[in-house]
Amino acid sequence: MTAAEWARVSSDAFNVALFAYIGAMVLSFAFLAFRRDGLHTAAIAVGVVGLAANLMSIVGRGIAADRTPWGNMYEYSSLLTALIVLAYLVIVEWRYRVRTLGGFVFAFAIFTMAMAVSFFYVGPTDLLPALNSYWRQIHVTAMITASSLLGIGCLFTILYLVKLGSERRQVAALRAQTPPPILGGSVEADLGTDAPPDYAPGADEPVGSGAPAEPARRIGLPPSATLDRLAYRFIQFGFPIWTFGVLCGAIWAQQTWGRYWGWDPKETWSFITWTIFAGYLHARATAGWRGTKAAAVALVGFVSLLITYYAVNLWIAGLHTYAK
Amino acid sequence: MSLPVPPASSRPPRLTLRQSFAVAWRTLRSMRTALVLLFLLATASAVGTLLPQIPSSPERVASYRATHRGLGAFFSRAGFFDVFGSWWFVLILSLLFVSLVACLIPRSRAMIRSIRQHPIQARELDAFPHYREFVVPGAPAEAAATARTVLRRHRYRVAMSDDGRAVAAEKGALREAGSLVFHWAFVLLLVTVIVGKGTGYVGHATIVEGQTWTDAAFNYDGDIRTGRFSSGGHTGIGIHLLDFADAFRQSGVPMDFTSTVELLDPAGDPVRTDVVSINHPVSFGGVRIFQYGFGWAPVVTIRDGDRLLYDGPIVMGQDASAGENPLAVPWIGFVKLPTLRPQVAIQLELYPDSVAYVSGLLSGTPQPMTEANAPFMRYAVWEGRLTDPSLTSLDTRFMHQTATGGIGQGWTVDASSGCVVSGAPRRLPQAVTGVGCPAGTVAKLAMTFPELKRYSRLQISRDTTVPFVLVAAILILAGLIAAMYSSRRKVWVRAEARDDGSILQVGGFALQRKDRFEEAFPKLVDDLSAAATRAPAESRQEVGAR
Repeated sequence: MTAAEWARVSSDAFNVALFAYIGAMVLSFAFLAFRRDGLHTAAIAVGVVGLAANLMSIVGRGIAADRTPWGNMYEYSSLLTALIVLAYLVIVEWRYRVRTLGGFVFAFAIFTMAMAVSFFYVGPTDLLPALNSYWRQIHVTAMITASSLLGIGCLFTILYLVKLGSERRQVAALRAQTPPPILGGSVEADLGTDAPPDYAPGADEPVGSGAPAEPARRIGLPPSATLDRLAYRFIQFGFPIWTFGVLCGAIWAQQTWGRYWGWDPKETWSFITWTIFAGYLHARATAGWRGTKAAAVALVGFVSLLITYYAVNLWIAGLHTYAK
Repeated sequence: MSLPVPPASSRPPRLTLRQSFAVAWRTLRSMRTALVLLFLLATASAVGTLLPQIPSSPERVASYRATHRGLGAFFSRAGFFDVFGSWWFVLILSLLFVSLVACLIPRSRAMIRSIRQHPIQARELDAFPHYREFVVPGAPAEAAATARTVLRRHRYRVAMSDDGRAVAAEKGALREAGSLVFHWAFVLLLVTVIVGKGTGYVGHATIVEGQTWTDAAFNYDGDIRTGRFSSGGHTGIGIHLLDFADAFRQSGVPMDFTSTVELLDPAGDPVRTDVVSINHPVSFGGVRIFQYGFGWAPVVTIRDGDRLLYDGPIVMGQDASAGENPLAVPWIGFVKLPTLRPQVAIQLELYPDSVAYVSGLLSGTPQPMTEANAPFMRYAVWEGRLTDPSLTSLDTRFMHQTATGGIGQGWTVDASSGCVVSGAPRRLPQAVTGVGCPAGTVAKLAMTFPELKRYSRLQISRDTTVPFVLVAAILILAGLIAAMYSSRRKVWVRAEARDDGSILQVGGFALQRKDRFEEAFPKLVDDLSAAATRAPAESRQEVGAR
């Protein structure tokens, strides 16, 4: 096949992936609404088809352009989507057996892809010479991987806050009953406090936090403690990779521009995002900052991540604008 | 007994200077302060990306100040146009590092103490989250000794009790060590960055093919950024540009820029030949040389009769507006002749590939001029008073234009009247070549254009601490990973005599990553019992478990 044909294959596969993700999202939400196992199976199957098409699109693009297919924002977004969906399917669905979050993840994937098509589309072209370095591959791979992990972590943080709110409302409703039911033991511990319940003082992880055994038939969001833990796991996993990516970027900048750090907007925002997530990890280890406060920090980090990823390229002039 | 209740209106007791210092120190050390400082740093950095900054784009700062007068003046005074060099950014950073060091010193001390200390024995092992007890053959002392070996094999640090029947074991000191390395590496990073930037310099050198440039302060073009603690000295090395080459794709997208240079030591003797290209800087004599830019430098001679007024290359710049392909835009340069009366300046406009330029004009889409192909210059001659010696601009306020014309490579023209003396091909229309000079004209400003050369713009930087910055960065990452993926675990084993054998009690817990310990603990127990009974774990006689 010629480069043009591969380019065609790539963009067709991209569209297939986008529509498959939309289908998977609809099926996932339908599963939440109607609680039929078949819907969940269908959602995952369609999601896997979407992922396959997504990967196909990336590979086709690489062949068409004859280079690693991460050289501009369109390609980053495609890769980011694939990694988000892959991480979700492997870690959340397969390892943790949590079945209720797919719709949100697919929605995020669709958003990323839609942004790519509408704002960042470019054909499979050659790169500027400054981008022609093996550090590009390492730097970009690390940044995209970290972005997808941190993104999923923040998605779980949002769901954690949602679930925490509904748990608190349940407790309030129970308390409002006359005579009030006796709340004690795990219910009280689970629902009544600000922090997720099963934290040992001084430890940064919940007690007995293994992969939860498959619940008999859990429909709806998992308990807030599970969501909080998942969020923490993803962010904890993504943070060192983000650090590595920023360091690789600095090495590359030293080679290309003759300085490892220059407060270029993209550099600065990657640093800001790093700072906020570093703050999150510290907050998790600090009494009085766990729970909702730490979650708020993670959400600020997520906003900063989106700014780093999108806004810097769309609105702020700097050296990284060629990545458009 | 009851405490005396102070009256409601009483103020808190006044602190002595020493006490207030202690309070300030404790506040600075707290995680809360560190977090607040971290977020302040992030916010300040964000401001630095939302407003134009003087170091990176001074012209945008100027236009911002022109459009937002009041706000611009305020921002300027508050240092918002140079956030990363402002006193408050430095203050936040300093406070953060003071807070960091204040927190790290006691933690490091505790770390050293705990490494020296032996694991401490525990009493009631069945109180721990993980607990097993089972029967093993042999005397208690023997069983405990075997357990100690097994724990050692599992890379625990171990200590025997005085009676020789109990073992205390722990591992995961790497967690705290990694965390300390991570945080100390930031201190190292800050110090190396300050030393490197403070004692180094960065500047740009423009070298025409065939010329030699020497590293000295006055040879840099434009501003040279010098560190605060720099001695002001330069290396004195020489760079002789042998050749500059570029490669473009059909679309006009650049592929590579390559400068072949001969490097000279401070005495001026050639040392070696090397190639500087994008992503491939060259280190030499204490500086690093990067490919930064390029351009055209036509060689021009100007004579007044027998008197040579000018002979040399003219470094040309560009004035491309946004959105234009800079390669399709003509290049501009100036020759200034201050010794003539009245003073004379010649403005030159170069079309390195006049064929591509003309075809771009005809087709309506500007064509990139990447190669020298029938190079052509338009010129305008100004007479009057020169106000500045700049070679990149011309102030025409006190000058008037006396002639214009065109000159191709190999031509000779009389710039004072704009006519062509010789060299213009006959087939070109007169609109391009201009009029021929009348026979017998004595050119007042005979200008020739024998050769079109290229120049290369190189970035020269001196930063001696780059390797140490890299070391700090690697330590940051290594410390981070060690801290995040290791966990502290404690295990105790005690053997009690029973009948002809012993009961082995094993208790333990993990401070982090408890799910992993949940899997690791049974394996450890299996190994302990297998070693003690020299039998597979399945035949173990369990007495108690949790």
